[in-house]
Amino acid sequence: MILSLVFFTFSLVFYFITALLYLGHWIFKKKWIGQTATAMSFVALMSTSMILISRAGESGHAPFSNLWESMMLFIWATNIGYLIMEYKHKFKVLGVAVMTFEFLAMLSAFALPYKFKSAEPLNPALQSKWHWMSDLLARWDLQSYAIGWLDFHVFATFVGYAGFAIAFGLSIIYIFKERQETGVSTSRLMAAFPDARIIDELSYRAIAWGFPFLTVGIISGAVWADYAWGTYWSWDPKETWSLITWFVYAAYLHARVTRGWRGRKAAWISIAGFLAVIFLYWGVSFILPGLHAYA
Amino acid sequence: MSEKGKGASTGGGKERSFLHAAGSNIWYFFNSLKLTLGVLITLALVSIIGTVIEQNQPVEQYLAAYGERWTGIIFKTGLHNMYHSWWFLALLAMLALNIVVCTFERFPPKWKSLLNHIPDKFDPRLIEKLAHNKTVTVNTSASTAVERMSKALKKKGYCISQSGSGSESFIYAWRGRVGRLGSDFVHISLLLILLGAIIGSYSGFKSFDAVYVGDLMKVPTAEFKLRLDKFWIDYYDTGQVRQYNSMITIVEDGKEVLTKQIWVNEPLSYKGIRFYQSSYGMAWNRVEEAQIGVRKKGSEEVTDVFTIKWNEKANVPGTPYDVKLVGYTADYEYDKAKGIVTSKSAEPNNPAVMFEIYEGADMIGGALVFLNHPGLYPSLPESANADLVFGGYKGIMYSGISINKDPGTNVVWAGSLVMGLGFYLAFFVYHRRVWVHVRQTGKSAEVKFGGMINKNTLALERELDDIADSIVSDR
Ligand code: HEM
Repeated sequence: MILSLVFFTFSLVFYFITALLYLGHWIFKKKWIGQTATAMSFVALMSTSMILISRAGESGHAPFSNLWESMMLFIWATNIGYLIMEYKHKFKVLGVAVMTFEFLAMLSAFALPYKFKSAEPLNPALQSKWHWMSDLLARWDLQSYAIGWLDFHVFATFVGYAGFAIAFGLSIIYIFKERQETGVSTSRLMAAFPDARIIDELSYRAIAWGFPFLTVGIISGAVWADYAWGTYWSWDPKETWSLITWFVYAAYLHARVTRGWRGRKAAWISIAGFLAVIFLYWGVSFILPGLHAYA
Repeated sequence: MSEKGKGASTGGGKERSFLHAAGSNIWYFFNSLKLTLGVLITLALVSIIGTVIEQNQPVEQYLAAYGERWTGIIFKTGLHNMYHSWWFLALLAMLALNIVVCTFERFPPKWKSLLNHIPDKFDPRLIEKLAHNKTVTVNTSASTAVERMSKALKKKGYCISQSGSGSESFIYAWRGRVGRLGSDFVHISLLLILLGAIIGSYSGFKSFDAVYVGDLMKVPTAEFKLRLDKFWIDYYDTGQVRQYNSMITIVEDGKEVLTKQIWVNEPLSYKGIRFYQSSYGMAWNRVEEAQIGVRKKGSEEVTDVFTIKWNEKANVPGTPYDVKLVGYTADYEYDKAKGIVTSKSAEPNNPAVMFEIYEGADMIGGALVFLNHPGLYPSLPESANADLVFGGYKGIMYSGISINKDPGTNVVWAGSLVMGLGFYLAFFVYHRRVWVHVRQTGKSAEVKFGGMINKNTLALERELDDIADSIVSDR
């Protein structure tokens, strides 16, 4: 069995425990559970990093070249993003949404057929490294570790997705929280979450990270396409869906500066945006024809 | 419009006010963030259609997939080439107009208020009205409290304007004003990117040409030519193709300017025109050289094999005749109606060579010789008492090069850079303003302060807490 899949098995268990701990912290409101949950999500992060590192060693290129690898990158980035948010804003209860999501993402990666998981050498059309980086690394004989526009493109895109995933979790909490605040519901569990106003703000912050990264991802993809195919934009389904997603989040940003669209409506746009991300990521690959292999 | 209105003396007033009203209505229509939301969401929704209906396919495919009726509708509405249809472009134009009008309306006042932002004096009661405000009492004189406050604010990176003295002082502090320009940079960058796309669609082009090894190729719109020096294929040990390569040279004014090896995804770029390796093959209408044999009449034996190069003359051994190799076709076909020879396919299914026959300097005829059908037609004049046999050939490779030019690309990249800057300013540089009122109350000083931030209120709250701590304990 290959090492990265061993780490994967560990990580799956870690994310399960992490999600349970955050759930426990939310329900029982015990401080120690919260602290253990944070520690555990850090352990899960380390373990996910090991998946990526060992996979890079096994395949001999940056570990984002198939669906499974990109899932690992996505889960990794979402975990880091969440931990940074928790460190800065100290609202541990919100972890329940993000970590449950992480666990579900791990499960779906687990369920992928083997052909999406195996470590493959790269198709020649995809091998193009930054010359300056190869040249630099060649001084120490490390040129095989150089990356190119394509690696950068995938990485930036997935960091963007991670921001949107966090915002998605928060927007869902927002919708329920607002119902509780306006007296529509009287859930005691909802009362444990911070004010809707704060959740809205945090969700905006997550999108404020996700949106530029998605943009950089789209533009670096365009730079690559321009270089490799001679056109920076060819309206293939993946490109178009990335633009659709981008429009939706642009709408979200403007909803927040428009009176009457703040809050709940904006939260719904953020949820719609994430559905577009999921389609962009999985739907396009499996349903629509196009140039992009998976990511 | 208004110029014309001024010139007309009679009846112009009415027309002018009408145009004016229409103009201001249009202006008003485009000066709306709700319109922005509408256009963005509409763009997102309609874009989906083009990912479901495959774009730019031949009609037959639509007919097969959607039937006659729907195909008609698809072509009428331009759904088969949706992203270039007039209504999609109109939506983009609306977005652009929306941006232009919003920027005209909002930027100047914003700019002014950012420049003239320092108040001469402010009412301390306003501080309490701010969403984030605090009042702390410090056991020092007012002037020490002011000093501590200034220090704390400066440490956090604020600029400061101070007024008053003695028992009552005012401080106004600010930071991150440029952040407010972020959204404008983003909007302008969008216009730049759209402009780049427009430039590209008007003055760019794409074409394709096959060039033989050793040949010069004309480059559309350019002064220079391109020469293919070599074409070759690299293989993996397993026999799988690794790469297709061409060595090409740019020739300008008869001089070689630049030589570069190109391969798939690794183009050569010269004066804004790029050359991509896109295909290759064996020429179907040309060879490098051919092996020709001579067969005496009535004999089966082929003797005197000689090699003749493309477009060159050679003597046919044992005869007074010279032949010149002037034609080749890989899959011979004679088009009776047009009277021309063509190649049915690029495959060498029925190779044939064509010669001109010379006696001395005079051309006396032509010959067509088949590889698979020797002696099908007589090739040399009777008197030679011999026939030519086409024994073999050395083919010539061509390399298919895609050529393209898009002068808008750099504008798009410039727009992208501006957009990056805009994002950084819009999302990561917050405009914060803090108002402070310090008043002596007996032996201690009362410090009242509050702030505003254009986003990320949580960050401001933390910052004000920090400041309160540091002025109380003078850290
Ligand atoms: C695809 C199109 C657009 C994109 C990507 C875009 C992007 C942005 C971004 C990133 C911001 C900053 C948001 C924030 O700070 O939270 C912003 C703000 C804003 N945008 Fe747009 N925008 C677009 C179209 C428009 C249009 C058409 C208008 C015209 C009304 C507009 C008006 C505004 C306004 C008024 C703000 C707030 C300005 C401020 O707070 O300084 N935007 N836009």
